[in-house]
Amino acid sequence: MSNNNLALVMKERAKRVQAVTVTVHHMNDVLRYTIDLTLQENGTTIAAPGLDVVNLQKLEDLCHASGLQLLHPPFRSHSSGIHMALTGADRAIAETGTLVLDSSSEDIRIATMLSETHIAWIPASRIMPDASALSAYMQEKMASPPGYMAFITGPSRTADIERVLAIGVHGPQRLHILIMEDSPS
Amino acid sequence: MIQTAQDMKTYRDRIHQALENKFLRKALDNFASSYKVSRAKAFEGIDLEALRHQLADGKDQALTHLESLFQQFKAKAEAAGAVVHLAATAEEANEIIARIASDNGVHAIIKSKSMTAEEIHLNDHLEAEGFKVTETDLGEWIIQLRHEGPSHMVMPAIHLSRHQVGGLFSDVTGKPVDLEDIDRMVKVARKELRPVFLAADMGVSGANFAIAETGTLGLITNEGNARLTTTLPRVHVALVGLEKLAPDLETALRILKILPKNATGQALTSYVTWITGAVECAASPTGRKNLHIVFLDNGRLELARDPVFSEALRCIRCGACSNVCPVYGKVGGHALGHVYIGAIGLILTYFYHGKDNARAIVHNCLNCQACKSVCPVNIDLPYLIKKVYENILKDEGARPAKNVLLSLVMKNRKLFHTMLRMASSLQKPMVKKDAAVLRHLPFVFGKTQEFRTLPAFAEKPFREQWPSLRPHIPNPSYRVALFGGCVVDFVSPEQAVSLVKLLTAHHVQMEYPMEQSCCGLPAMMMAETETAVEVAVQNLQALDSQAYDYILVLCASCGSHLKEGYSRLLASKPELAEKLRRMQSRLMDFSSFMVNVLKVTPDAFVQSHTEVAYHSPCHLCRGLGVTREPRELLGTAGLNYIPCADEDVCCGFGGSYSLEFPEISAEILRQKLDHVDATGAQVLVTDCPGCVLQLRGGMNKRGSSVQVRHIAEVVAANLKSL
Repeated sequence: MSNNNLALVMKERAKRVQAVTVTVHHMNDVLRYTIDLTLQENGTTIAAPGLDVVNLQKLEDLCHASGLQLLHPPFRSHSSGIHMALTGADRAIAETGTLVLDSSSEDIRIATMLSETHIAWIPASRIMPDASALSAYMQEKMASPPGYMAFITGPSRTADIERVLAIGVHGPQRLHILIMEDSPS
Repeated sequence: MIQTAQDMKTYRDRIHQALENKFLRKALDNFASSYKVSRAKAFEGIDLEALRHQLADGKDQALTHLESLFQQFKAKAEAAGAVVHLAATAEEANEIIARIASDNGVHAIIKSKSMTAEEIHLNDHLEAEGFKVTETDLGEWIIQLRHEGPSHMVMPAIHLSRHQVGGLFSDVTGKPVDLEDIDRMVKVARKELRPVFLAADMGVSGANFAIAETGTLGLITNEGNARLTTTLPRVHVALVGLEKLAPDLETALRILKILPKNATGQALTSYVTWITGAVECAASPTGRKNLHIVFLDNGRLELARDPVFSEALRCIRCGACSNVCPVYGKVGGHALGHVYIGAIGLILTYFYHGKDNARAIVHNCLNCQACKSVCPVNIDLPYLIKKVYENILKDEGARPAKNVLLSLVMKNRKLFHTMLRMASSLQKPMVKKDAAVLRHLPFVFGKTQEFRTLPAFAEKPFREQWPSLRPHIPNPSYRVALFGGCVVDFVSPEQAVSLVKLLTAHHVQMEYPMEQSCCGLPAMMMAETETAVEVAVQNLQALDSQAYDYILVLCASCGSHLKEGYSRLLASKPELAEKLRRMQSRLMDFSSFMVNVLKVTPDAFVQSHTEVAYHSPCHLCRGLGVTREPRELLGTAGLNYIPCADEDVCCGFGGSYSLEFPEISAEILRQKLDHVDATGAQVLVTDCPGCVLQLRGGMNKRGSSVQVRHIAEVVAANLKSL
């Protein structure tokens, strides 16, 4: 399957589990989307673990301009006040609409677990058809411990009361997946 | 806390109470129907059979060397900074975990969901040692606040209504909670538990698998609490049953592919967490997580070596055996398990929580095979439940009088048949004229049996009618023997008479071997294995003739017992292997013979277009795997088959089950008949005389005009006269 087709399957499956999926073409789109969504949700804080220095500076500037606060690590000290988490994803699994995040870094864990909303971007080229296609990658990760790998499929959920699906128990209440495809040129 | 009935009287009282709970029944009913749909959808396009076999084989392999897998895991995990423990017993595991807590100056402990922690009653122990323990899985938190055990392995609070949960939350928070708004209740848990997560010193989790090759723990979850439990506190203790050891990633990925789909119908859960070693943790003085992995034996190593019961250790705790169990659907998990719930619970309770807790609940199985058909690792749950019952009988030394009597009588065919005839003449004064049902029930049955009428014994059993019925077909197309079974022979010979008519019309020579006896299933159901073996040998002799092309059964239960049951019962008798193979290769149910061998065509039947509903007997659709042929035969025979809801759900008969648990049987039957009534069909067809007995008795009792017929009867009735 081509990357495009995998991206389509990924979007369709992620929607089934209440994730929002969007196609973007550039890191600037990701940053803009993050600012806009935070404002829209009346959030005030953003944690962006793992973002490279250049984009982090851009995000900081955008936050300034919008009256938002970009949190600085360690995020454990902000554990009660993270509205938005912005991270990349290392891989994705199209078949189940799943994001794969190496979460060995505590900052990534805290941001993606304690935030209200999690935005993750993923290059379309890193979407795998299914979990078995991920074997080699997982083997490699598990062979260099310690490590904490996370498969994330939609926002946190429960059906523990009368089996009624409720979104957002202990993890993020919303998950947005930004699939980065090459610009049509 | 959990108080499971230890004798039948207390247990029946519990069941009575459970059946009074209308909310529970409705909730579980809805769940049972929606589960089937979502499960089927989740497995679309997946070769489930192949996957189950792979998973079961892989588990069996691993069970032969759990100790070496443990050593491998320990070496890998400890190289990655974890400390790995092995607890021989529940007490030892509790002590190890309490010691880890006290050695690390822990006060507050948070827990994510772990059935293994429930198994050892970890919370009770930690609380007694002075620690504050909070469950964080929503369902577990709810039952912790109510001081209850789980009523389902995946959805521990499924027995509670939103009103009950709302009321509880309003008590806990001291603030009013909207009793209808489930979303708000979930947010209450989020808000209340967040500070508890942040303040905890230690997190306790379970694990869905432990990969030996890499020392990795896997957690398959939805709420996100297990991620917080394993991340926020400085100490993490994972409690893992030894059977969760998986050799490699490939095995873990297989579990991942099947577990969420089979458990909740989800393609995948929200989170899958793979933890290898002690990761960074700023809250810890060393900067790395203080990770302890406690493996629990508690009888598992011994169980793994047991030739019969080891397969119970394949269980991956998906809970599906509860989801499809008709009994669970009526009484819920608190009346069908101890800590572990449902079919697997009836088995594991004996091994992990002792015979006292297993003694009563182990009776509560219909042997409908629904659990077995959805088990992702092919555990023969109904069989193991009977074997547990047998073990308990052995442990207790004294067999119940009914068992002794049954064995005594059944081993001697002549005595058995004489007694059936005697019963037939003794009941004569009680038979309602023209209806062939008992006017009033003998007092031994008691009031609880009044949910259905019981049929009278036939005036003349089939075996006595046979000499005058036996046709002589010159140059027959086939020669077949009928294995009648007790109900056809002594209660419903008209079903066999219909068969004679159909076979004769199709130039088939039928025989009725007179030395055949009861198939032995009732003995199996009462865990009288020795008797079951004896009658199996008798029947094998009776049916062993080169003269028969096929051996037909009108009773699905006999058929499935002759096939699957005999293979197991006679496995230790290699001298009978060839006879057994010969018998089984010729064994066939009525519909399959008509459709696949005789290939009957519509022109042989009056096309009456009578509307009929169909009940698919457990031992036909699951036992013998026959589903297409009866439905096709109804059409060929000129009947108009109207599909009905839950056709393949048990009618509640289960042989002696309906005598042991009449209230549950009645409730399962009620639902079945409601579904049939909803079709508007005036005839209900099935292909097992036991089901006919139950269904007809129920229809009679409700004064319904719906006729209940064996499929051989309705097909024969439409046969064009020659």
